[in-house]
Amino acid sequence: MDILLSSIVAGLLFGMVLAIVALGLTIIFGVMDIVNFAHGEFLMIGMYTGLLTAQATGLEPLLTLPVAAAVGFLLGVLCYFGFIKFLLRGPMIAQLLGTFGLMLFLRNLALLIFGSEDRALHHGVLVGKSFDIGMGIILPATKLAAAGLSVVAFWGVWILMNRTKIGNALRATALNAQGARYMGIPTERMNALAWGIGGGTVTVAGALIVNFWSVNPFMGLLFTMIAFAIVALGGFGSVPGAFFAGLVVGMITEIPGFWDFMTYTFNLDWMANVPMTSFKYMWVYLAYFLIMVVRPRGLFGWKQ
Amino acid sequence: MKSAFRFLSVLLIIGLIVPAGALAEKEIKIGAIYPLTGGAAAAGRELRAGAELAAEIANNVMADINMSMAKNGGIKSMGGAKITIIFKDHEGNPTLGADLAKKLILDDKVDGLLGCYHSSVTKTVSAVAEQHGIPMINGTSTSPALTKRGFKWFWRTTPHDVWFTKDLFEFLVGLSGGKVQGVKSFPKKELLNIASACENSEWGSFVSALIKDFASEYKFNLNKSLLYSAKAPDLSSEVRSLKAAKPDVMMFASYTSDAILMVKTLKAQKVQPKIIWGQDAGFEKPEFRSTLGDSIVGILTRTVFLPKVVDIKPVAGQVNTLYKAKTGNDLGGASARAFTGLQTWVHVLEKAGSTKPADIQRAANAINIPGAELVVPWAGIKFSTSGAEMGQNTLGSGLIGQYQKGPDGQLVLEIVYPFDVASADMIYPFPQF
Repeated sequence: MDILLSSIVAGLLFGMVLAIVALGLTIIFGVMDIVNFAHGEFLMIGMYTGLLTAQATGLEPLLTLPVAAAVGFLLGVLCYFGFIKFLLRGPMIAQLLGTFGLMLFLRNLALLIFGSEDRALHHGVLVGKSFDIGMGIILPATKLAAAGLSVVAFWGVWILMNRTKIGNALRATALNAQGARYMGIPTERMNALAWGIGGGTVTVAGALIVNFWSVNPFMGLLFTMIAFAIVALGGFGSVPGAFFAGLVVGMITEIPGFWDFMTYTFNLDWMANVPMTSFKYMWVYLAYFLIMVVRPRGLFGWKQ
Repeated sequence: MKSAFRFLSVLLIIGLIVPAGALAEKEIKIGAIYPLTGGAAAAGRELRAGAELAAEIANNVMADINMSMAKNGGIKSMGGAKITIIFKDHEGNPTLGADLAKKLILDDKVDGLLGCYHSSVTKTVSAVAEQHGIPMINGTSTSPALTKRGFKWFWRTTPHDVWFTKDLFEFLVGLSGGKVQGVKSFPKKELLNIASACENSEWGSFVSALIKDFASEYKFNLNKSLLYSAKAPDLSSEVRSLKAAKPDVMMFASYTSDAILMVKTLKAQKVQPKIIWGQDAGFEKPEFRSTLGDSIVGILTRTVFLPKVVDIKPVAGQVNTLYKAKTGNDLGGASARAFTGLQTWVHVLEKAGSTKPADIQRAANAINIPGAELVVPWAGIKFSTSGAEMGQNTLGSGLIGQYQKGPDGQLVLEIVYPFDVASADMIYPFPQF
């Protein structure tokens, strides 16, 4: 039983972390229909920002979050004005290939600057700490903090989108950019804002994740793939959808844990020998595939 | 005046015709392909430093080192020819390794190869060497399959994982039998349940299979055996799966960054086995120690060299002093074996007396380096020239060390196996994180 509980808790925590990673992707897609292939690279940059700021200043890693947010916001806005703006004039394929190029550029830039070695944080209030709350459930402090922040970020973005004037403007831009422009909404600035928020949330996620994962210039792809799966599952452009889909994907990555639970509950030897952990991400991609075939607009999709 | 002019012009003409360096000592080029960047870069730095130090000792006369290669100042049989190592970085990538080997052989015209640490890379690189008929000596790859291919241009000095894994099970049996210094005998059933996690490339997956075989041979229960990617950023679901198997003994085959992540995750998940054992590699890197600090006290690792060996072998102490002055670290399994790899090259070249591949091949097959020459605690180096293990050194042996806290508060690896050379009482069971 404790295997089941600990897997569920771990899945939910991880799901919330994944959700905040996917948040930026869904905002950018929601507002301007651009799929940002470089999303994972933004995350990687957030991780390096958190790591290097903490190491250079000796600050507690958690205090580097505002720095990461600022770097991400600026990077997002800069990418928009320096690059994406021009892509919007071209066909859809140009936008796809454009952000793909951005991904390659950022990755290799990171490789040039940081080298290919794995780097990790080894000191900090949260690093290596965990709470044993009984029944076999162990909560790693880093993931708990990341999950908590994820909830806060989602709540904040939801309020921004649904309860503020800027949010209305963003959503209007999302629904009909031309119409919004006629109504006097500065759509150009709204697009940049979407990139800023998208970049800022994902770099914050990165600065949190670096508390428990090591970073190298190539790690963006794994997260881009998972974020895609989450956004597709939740519905492209849906903020609440991204959150719930994040939880679902988090649970999916825990399938090996559920498998172990079945193995020991029913005491089946053959099940113990299946290398489930080797395939933990396969189920995520399978879910992505299925949702694309069965319900392309996702569980909560509102844009056609 | 006229004759002086004539003399000078003759000199000038000779200088133009005879290529520069022909009158100088011959240079022997060895290509060393190591993981200098990437996840195993820490190991790469050690390997490089070890091989460089061996070349320094071979190229210069160092009277205070009791090795025959320290007395010659180059390869004596080739008129004091000096060894130059050309280092290349394979990043842990077998394809890149093979490309680099081709480049070294065709462009740099190396006389031989050394490397490559990762068994997966050694596999592709040695295939290139075999194809071109260039001799390759491997000092640090322990996948048993490497010497099972019948290659004629490949020699391996290090013992391989079959020996090491067998050592481990002998150790476990001895542990419950009360043979380990400082531990009283106890019923074997306390150690019966095993779980293993190995990285999923050539080396780790082979170790995993070996653990399976030996567990059944020695009648232990292997409750869980999983493979993971050494590049994985997160191992928490793997660790939870291991924990669910309730193991008494946990066994790992990990490279550097994943070994650190694994132990961190074990600690965060509060896993409580009685024994944690690592198959060398990541488990004995200086980074493993410096990053994880005191939480590794009690962890065991298989190795071929421990600083404690210095107490048994004076020559190891002499080399260790030089190595420490060069790098700030003590010799470890990787550096000591890379050192021994290049040292073997020196002996082979000395015996061959030329850089012709056929001469080197003949010399390598006939070489017999006595154990007293080596920094590693082996009986010597002598290659098997026929049968199922062609090119394998038959005189190697392994050690099992345990991290303990020394009197000065520093972490040291104490020898716990073989039982008769134990350097301290073993800490058993593993003190919980």
